[in-house]
Amino acid sequence: MKRLLGASAVLALAISMAEAKETVVWWDFLGGGDGVRMKTLIEEFNKEHADTIEIQATTLDWGVPFYSKVQATAAVGEGPDMMTYHASRIPLAVSQGTLAEITPEDMAAMGLSAANFAPATWDAVQVDGKQYAVPFDTHPIVLYYNKDLLEKSGLIGADGLPAGLDGLDNFNAALKKLKDDGNEWGIVQVTADGGFAFRTIYSLLCQQNGEIGTDGNWFPGDSQEKLANAVGVISNWVAEGYNPSYTDYPSTVALFTSGKSPFMINGVWEVPTMDDLNKQGKLFNWGAIELPVLFDRPCTYADSHAFAIPANAGKEVSPEKHAAVLEVIKWMEANSLFWATAGHIPANVAVTETAEYKAMQPQATYAKLTANSVFDPKSVNAGVASPLFDAAGNAFTAAINGETDPATAVAEMKAALDALQQ
Amino acid sequence: MLRNRRSELLAAFVLILPFVVIYGWMFVYPTIQMVRLSFTDAPLIGEGKYVGFKNYVRMFKDPVFRKAVWNTAYFVALTVVPGTAVALLIALMVSRLKGWLQSVILAAFFLPYILPVTVVYVIWDWMTNVQFGMLQGAIEWVAGRPVNVWRTIPWFMPGVAVITIWWTNGFSILLFLAGLRNIPAELYEAAQLDGATRWQMFTRVTWPLIWPVTVLCLTIQLILQLKIFDQVYLFAVGGRTQATMVLVQYIYEQAFQKNAGGYSATIALALFVIVVTFSVLQFQILRIRGQR
Repeated sequence: MKRLLGASAVLALAISMAEAKETVVWWDFLGGGDGVRMKTLIEEFNKEHADTIEIQATTLDWGVPFYSKVQATAAVGEGPDMMTYHASRIPLAVSQGTLAEITPEDMAAMGLSAANFAPATWDAVQVDGKQYAVPFDTHPIVLYYNKDLLEKSGLIGADGLPAGLDGLDNFNAALKKLKDDGNEWGIVQVTADGGFAFRTIYSLLCQQNGEIGTDGNWFPGDSQEKLANAVGVISNWVAEGYNPSYTDYPSTVALFTSGKSPFMINGVWEVPTMDDLNKQGKLFNWGAIELPVLFDRPCTYADSHAFAIPANAGKEVSPEKHAAVLEVIKWMEANSLFWATAGHIPANVAVTETAEYKAMQPQATYAKLTANSVFDPKSVNAGVASPLFDAAGNAFTAAINGETDPATAVAEMKAALDALQQ
Repeated sequence: MLRNRRSELLAAFVLILPFVVIYGWMFVYPTIQMVRLSFTDAPLIGEGKYVGFKNYVRMFKDPVFRKAVWNTAYFVALTVVPGTAVALLIALMVSRLKGWLQSVILAAFFLPYILPVTVVYVIWDWMTNVQFGMLQGAIEWVAGRPVNVWRTIPWFMPGVAVITIWWTNGFSILLFLAGLRNIPAELYEAAQLDGATRWQMFTRVTWPLIWPVTVLCLTIQLILQLKIFDQVYLFAVGGRTQATMVLVQYIYEQAFQKNAGGYSATIALALFVIVVTFSVLQFQILRIRGQR
């Protein structure tokens, strides 16, 4: 009996302590190497806030499943307290009433403002002058390179970085040289998925000052021709045998890490893979740089992982809970240096200006591209796993592998996008 | 007597009540909602306004819908009858085996059936990988070059069909085996005494007696394959989803990706009508044939 009393006293104490502590229910979609790093950050946060705030994190399936779930749960007030969100998906979420606004007061409470972020990244989380998320990183695509193989072909400059790649002709000549020097491929990127390849294609469209446009006005001006040009660059690489055809994501990484291709175009999220292989002594000298300027100006596709708060219908958030959520975001922003080890470029400029970040390689080398990044257009039909990506997948998979010509593919994509306005 | 019947009725009503409630709540009500939704422009979540037959007009003019109907029909043709025939063949062979050998062989055929579709996808995606796949040797021998099966349109549906038959066959084999075991051995003995050949035994004894099982298998397969989604979705993801679209996938895409709940309900209703019509038709036709 005495023991029972003692046990219930301990239990009561535990309950009262738990009540004093705010829990923050957190959803993310970070399933790869970056997910492991995010879990470290969350553990660190929970340790530092052992008496006040606890993050209860769940990782869900990336893409359409994640966004459908968030939309469905927020509509009935069962969403999480906060979540990661792609900046490119914000316009759709706002049109569905899924996201709560981040007010200027919230930003002030976190000690953050527009000045803390790169302009393109900051702009990406705004819709009609209102802010709907706090950017955590910018994640562009980059050009990974195998330094050993490039050195053999004389493509490394005095600064130790790849040289002689600017301009389409030079780049094609470099690929030809690499192929002639006995490499199986010159460059590898995902060619089985036109939606993925769209990231490169969009970069090349932007490098020609072309635009995707937006609902009802897709590919304005001569953007359609420029887009066909961009598609043509890759389909030409495939036709010449520089880039393998119909290659899926895992094969892309495998072809690069096994030394069969000296270049790879992929997202910065593959940096942890290279880092880990390198630490195990299983990789060559490698690096990553901003995409070379093949046309008129530097420009690279990017998206941003941001923190958003769902507009849980019919559920009033207590001021304490809201303050706890803001504390989590503030802490994550302040500690995002560790997030850079996942390859992503921290959105908080103060972090990328630290000496530690500047010593981080290759992150510091490609970090400058945030000034030249282009995000998805602000449309409910754009963003990751969106109808725009889908249309690109359908049109460009055939075009880059030589089944149709680029101009036809672009016309087909435009028709698919125009059909969305019916 | 009358009182007795009344209490029996009451008992019957109480016993079927849970089923009726759940059936009404989980099936009848959603079906009515689906019909209602198909006359609105509702998004995935929330109400839309009444638009009359606009969704239906759009559906009949939609080339992707037509493509989805065609692909679904093509897939059904590739899997239902061939799959059932293969299952019958395997069951006939397995039934000739005895003891532990029969168990082992049966288990080998049944094992794929217990795999989740994602595992099936990963296995075959790796086996057919265009750079590293084990099967590319065989594919190169047939086609003369390595082929990305899941990005080359003529290869796609037959590829998915072969995998689906391999994956789901175990269940049909079990049904056939159960049917074969129910045939009394005396019939075969009598046939043997009458000097029947093996082919005559199959066509005159086995085939008529397992016809009901065959009808069951065909009907289950037809309904299942009309609703094909997972494999097609997984193998086509990121690639040429429009050219390989099937009906359930189109419902999913319109609802969850394009946020068009109303239009999605319209396609769902079309599929519902197709499934009901075909399964009832097929079952009735096959049953009549069996009773002849």
